Amino acid sequence: MFIERVSLRAIRNLRSIDFAPGPRFNVISGENGQGKTSLLEGIYLAATSRSFRTSRLQELILHGEAIASSKLVVSQDGGSHEQSLGIQAAGGARQARVDGKRPPSLAAFAVKTPMVVFHPGEVALSTGPSGERRRLLDRVVLHTAFTKMAEQIAYTRAMRERQEALETRGERATDLEEWETLMVSHGLAVCEARRDASERLSHVAEHAFHRIASPSLVLRVRYLTNVPETEDAYRHLLAASRGRDRARKSVAIGPHRDDLVLEVDGHAARQVASQGQHRAIVLSLKAAEIDVIHAARGVRPVLLLDDVSSELDRARTQALVSFLGEQRGQVFLTTTRPELIESEGLGGGSDRHDFRVERGVLSVAQG
Amino acid sequence: MQSPHARRLVSLLSRLPGVGEKTAQRYLLFLLTAERQLADDLGRELTVLRDRLVPCEKCGNVAEVSDVGASLCDICADNKRDSRLLCVVARVHDLMAIERAGSMRGRYFVLGKLLSPLEGVGPEDLPIEKLVTRVREDGVEEIIVATPPSVEGEATALLVKRELGPTGVAISRIASGVPHGGDLEFADPITMGRALQGRQRL
Repeated sequence: MFIERVSLRAIRNLRSIDFAPGPRFNVISGENGQGKTSLLEGIYLAATSRSFRTSRLQELILHGEAIASSKLVVSQDGGSHEQSLGIQAAGGARQARVDGKRPPSLAAFAVKTPMVVFHPGEVALSTGPSGERRRLLDRVVLHTAFTKMAEQIAYTRAMRERQEALETRGERATDLEEWETLMVSHGLAVCEARRDASERLSHVAEHAFHRIASPSLVLRVRYLTNVPETEDAYRHLLAASRGRDRARKSVAIGPHRDDLVLEVDGHAARQVASQGQHRAIVLSLKAAEIDVIHAARGVRPVLLLDDVSSELDRARTQALVSFLGEQRGQVFLTTTRPELIESEGLGGGSDRHDFRVERGVLSVAQG
Repeated sequence: MQSPHARRLVSLLSRLPGVGEKTAQRYLLFLLTAERQLADDLGRELTVLRDRLVPCEKCGNVAEVSDVGASLCDICADNKRDSRLLCVVARVHDLMAIERAGSMRGRYFVLGKLLSPLEGVGPEDLPIEKLVTRVREDGVEEIIVATPPSVEGEATALLVKRELGPTGVAISRIASGVPHGGDLEFADPITMGRALQGRQRL
């Protein structure tokens, strides 16, 4: 599976970009602020319906434009399909299309072309709050247990309905029991899918870390939830927390509080890991994400690597280089220093396609 | 279209669901060029519509106003229907969809809306008491809850179940699964998942 055509319109500073990437290594070079990351962001948008930089998609629209859009032609199993995503400035609505038709859901759209992104901000996976790690679990769930995505949507909806009932009508609202019943059944299904995703990830990530960081350090990755295992216990806990949930205007118990705990030699990574170790953890998790998706889907996800130059300080990130060398799928890589990529002997010869971005305009780089 | 008359009609027509300004203009031009009878008949029917048709007093379906006794819909008035079997739906549209299938031999009860605090609908906004009374007074023995398979539809079904519990009536929920006559490969994965979950012994 690989992307054979990319068309971007009005995405950040990229007014109009059309190009045909190669099936393996695509190196996109340019100075800072020219639009390299936005190019990857545009590709990611049409594959996943999301951005890896922001949750407010309207930010992506070039100033003064009514619509931003991204379209990919993806070659797979001898055929090809087209998928596109448009964002409207007014209201920020997303319009997804697969071969011109509306997909049944955004999840059905996002599952079509598996893609994994790795960018400098991602170190938050290891250093930051739980949200990023939940999103990692959910990206894995999307590709390993697609139907469970509906459980998550249903859980969130039931939770919001229950919270609204609680805040507008108080703890005596007579429909709380119904909403809580639904939160319990959908919530437990979400937990089950995430626990499974976590087990798939942890095995690969722990092994990768052993190789990347140091054989003497041990990474442990495990799923943490505050949801009780049985329906009855969960239901009682929810009923008992009505007063607190109402007062705090948020729900204390549930999969929306889940985390993926990362420990180095038995201690929380957030507290004990060095910068280099954090990077090794993130790289291990990313390698695991790629591996698990590959195993589940039978295709290699497209890999987007943003700003490799900042990562390539040689002493510590040999690992990234060897990791890159192991990639057999399509790769898009941005860098300010294309010569560095060359010297590491990555994707040489006809496997490699070079592009250059300058002030929002893409050209084929002259080798 | 400059005539104030034309503008007025277009703006009224475009308030109908699914009708935009362009479609409204097409309707207007059609009514102007087709047989005059059509416009006259349509106008006459519309003027008396709200005097002649009301919600059925028993079930909420569309009913003709009756000069003698209660205004009942065809289904509630039909004494060949099994009054022991009652199907609870959210909207009249859903009732019509089930009727088209032709296999429902009982009667209906239209809730009018679904439970949804986010949309300002609480339990007290649903005609639950009326439903309980109906079950008690008409000797209903079995209820089929046919609300949609959404979170709000499920919550409404659970509420109906809890409220009807004390009446001792048997309650079931419609199944969800793959459509008839199609190939399984075209079923979306979520529907397929539900179909597997709700499988029946052969």
